[in-house]
Amino acid sequence: MVKYILKRLLHGIVSVLIVVLIVMLLVYSTMDRNLIFSSDGTFTKLSGNDKEVYRYQQWERYGYLDYVPYGDYLGTLGLTSEERSAAAFGNTPAEDSAAAKKYIEQFTKEYESRGYTVTRLNYSKAKGNSKQLFAYKDINVFVRFWNFVTGIVTVDNIHNARGIADEERGISFTWYDPAYFTYDEAGNVVGKKFSPAIIGNGTTHKYLLYFDGKFPFIHQNLISVSLGTSYSVNQGVDVWDTMTQSQGAYVNGEVSYPTGHIEVSADNLHSATYVEGSLAAGGEFVQARFTDDYTNISTNKAGMSRMGYSFTIGIIATIIAYFVGLPLGILMALKKDKFADKLGTLYIIFIIAVPSLAYIFMFKGIGMLMGLPVTFDTSGNWLYYILPIVSLALPSIGGLMKWMRRYMIDQSNSDYVKFARSGGLSEGQIFRKHIMKNAAIPILNGIPGSVLGALTGAIITESVYVVPGVGNVLTKAINLYDNSVIVGITLFYALLSILALILGDILMALTDPRISFNKKER
Amino acid sequence: MDETLVNLDDLGLTEEELFAPFDCSEINSEKITAPRYSYWKSVFRVFFKHKINIFLLALLGFVVFLAYVYPLISPYNSAEHVTDLEAFHLSPSEAISRFGFHLKYIFGTNAQGASTFNAVWSGAQISISLALVCAAINMTIGILLGAVWGFSKKFDIVMIEVYNIVGNVPYILVISVLVMIMTGSFWTLVFAMTLTGWIGIAYFIRTQVLIIRDREYNLASRCLGTSIFKITLKNILPFMTSVIVTVIATEIPSYISYEVFLSYIGMGLSDMSLGRLIEENQVAMTTPGWGWEFWTPVIVAAIITVVLYVVGQNLGDASDPRTHM
Repeated sequence: MVKYILKRLLHGIVSVLIVVLIVMLLVYSTMDRNLIFSSDGTFTKLSGNDKEVYRYQQWERYGYLDYVPYGDYLGTLGLTSEERSAAAFGNTPAEDSAAAKKYIEQFTKEYESRGYTVTRLNYSKAKGNSKQLFAYKDINVFVRFWNFVTGIVTVDNIHNARGIADEERGISFTWYDPAYFTYDEAGNVVGKKFSPAIIGNGTTHKYLLYFDGKFPFIHQNLISVSLGTSYSVNQGVDVWDTMTQSQGAYVNGEVSYPTGHIEVSADNLHSATYVEGSLAAGGEFVQARFTDDYTNISTNKAGMSRMGYSFTIGIIATIIAYFVGLPLGILMALKKDKFADKLGTLYIIFIIAVPSLAYIFMFKGIGMLMGLPVTFDTSGNWLYYILPIVSLALPSIGGLMKWMRRYMIDQSNSDYVKFARSGGLSEGQIFRKHIMKNAAIPILNGIPGSVLGALTGAIITESVYVVPGVGNVLTKAINLYDNSVIVGITLFYALLSILALILGDILMALTDPRISFNKKER
Repeated sequence: MDETLVNLDDLGLTEEELFAPFDCSEINSEKITAPRYSYWKSVFRVFFKHKINIFLLALLGFVVFLAYVYPLISPYNSAEHVTDLEAFHLSPSEAISRFGFHLKYIFGTNAQGASTFNAVWSGAQISISLALVCAAINMTIGILLGAVWGFSKKFDIVMIEVYNIVGNVPYILVISVLVMIMTGSFWTLVFAMTLTGWIGIAYFIRTQVLIIRDREYNLASRCLGTSIFKITLKNILPFMTSVIVTVIATEIPSYISYEVFLSYIGMGLSDMSLGRLIEENQVAMTTPGWGWEFWTPVIVAAIITVVLYVVGQNLGDASDPRTHM
């Protein structure tokens, strides 16, 4: 069994990787890379050579190419400041000094031999253009794919942060989390709270493991997932964080900063990450609060994350669907060809045939007539959840009714049921002990799929009711040409669907003794 | 009783003409004759036995007529009253009292003052055409490949992997990337929807072929030396007619739904289809008095898909020979 599952998992991971590769090929090699700027405000404001250079800088940031400005190249040579100023290139090639000519030739020769394209853009006063000289080389999609895959899971280690003396690097364990210290006026610690934490110095995150009052109470920053940085959906933020970060209004509380400064703020000290030199650069404001360079913190927000909303709505809808759909399907099978069956069939036809957009709008229209709120709000009022949940549950009820009825009827026509009846079993016993048990097996197979599917969100429902969930991230990314988000979301979806398939099969094997994954046991 | 009897002498025929020796040939006596049977004739006999099917077929004919012939008579013109601010968002009664009675005003006017009725039917034409073309292409590729897939074990190993991989690439991603690279034209969407759309059908057909491939009569055929091609064509495909009709019945409405969905998220056609109508008139839903321009395309889309689905399902039931008794 374990061997079989491992084999399936490995197989699944390979297909997920191929899916990601196909999507990367589709997105990065066939799509015009200028499209990513279509919704970039900075890009539209720039003009001339600055715009040109900005494009290359962004392309480098988002992994399209390797971009080396001439200045960076000079920096690597270890020149003195006089030599550097002598090497500076002129407005046009004709204006170059002899020293500059030598360095430019060296630069061109070196990078062209490595397959780079060297581009020089001249200064022109009329157009307000600045002079530019740089080399660039496209990054192969397969190299990108490799970089992406190897960068998905990163484990924080004490050599990540630059600018910390080696003897200070290390990981420490404390029973009393410093984020919960209370201080007196002079800045001395007066109160401690029992809360174990693992704190790193030299790591990217300060808190590697800590407890707090929020579900699931124990949190870690040691292993982080990155699925690609967003360009336009949520600029500069990783796709994974876009999906999992909480949203909504700030939650203020009393925060005691490491210096002893106490303030009402929404800052979340546990999220501190290292930014080299930020304490010195931050000025008085930062220095009044922090004692080290772990100053980059996120804020506490009242709402759930995108995935949180999608999952809450999705899981409640799934539970309702199973609790309503299965009994209704059984009822239809019991009353075959009677009124209840016909009514149910009518409903199933409606759900299957009518475009889902059309019936979701119909549900929305009915909800509006009933006075329910139709535009989702993150304030937490449960009324806002009713319509999205109903709109998600009703179609799945239809699907479950259809399959449950089908399986029940198939089972009740089978020979073993006739045999049981001839053997004198009561209808109730046949129903409970034979038909139900066998009809439930294929239904069980679909449960992991519906539960994990709740994580991916529902595109139409979420956009009709304006729910801030995961469902619209992919469509938004496609509309805004945010390629790394497209790739990241695809990976997420593909992983979930493979996992759902495997879990479904395992669940089926656990419940049905006839199914065995071990060939030898047969 | 007596009246029906005829006196042979009254007929005035010779002895030879009245009685001829019957040619009792060995070959003729061995022939087995059965009443003439036409498969499709009995399919339609069963299909039309239910009065509801006649009604649905008539409704389908009416809808198709409106979608394909009506736009020829009264084409949709989005700029019809675009300069007339008073003509925007009119309800049917307002539109009729303003422009006089004409069929095209019975659904009122839309945000640009154009007739909603005309917009709906020219949109329906595009949506139905798209669904029919996509279904034709996907079904052809799906059935042919599915039949081979079910038969060849080597092909099966490769195709199962392809199916696992392609099935995990989000469908909307394939479509939207293609729509982005090319333009949102009719044929782009057809290409995008058929690029990976056939694989689900092929997989379904493969499973069906697997179920009946090793039945005794097929094994017997193979033992007698029938070619696999002939077995597929003569033994297996006829067996699957009802299954295929049922799949078509689910596929065609699903393409219409898909087109509506894609247009709604902004990745669909640039032509005026039902989906684009719904997407463009979304604001009208919540505005009192503008409801007509939003709900009519929604309801027409629902009617078209339901009728297509039910007619197809009933035809699928009727094409199962077991219902022909």
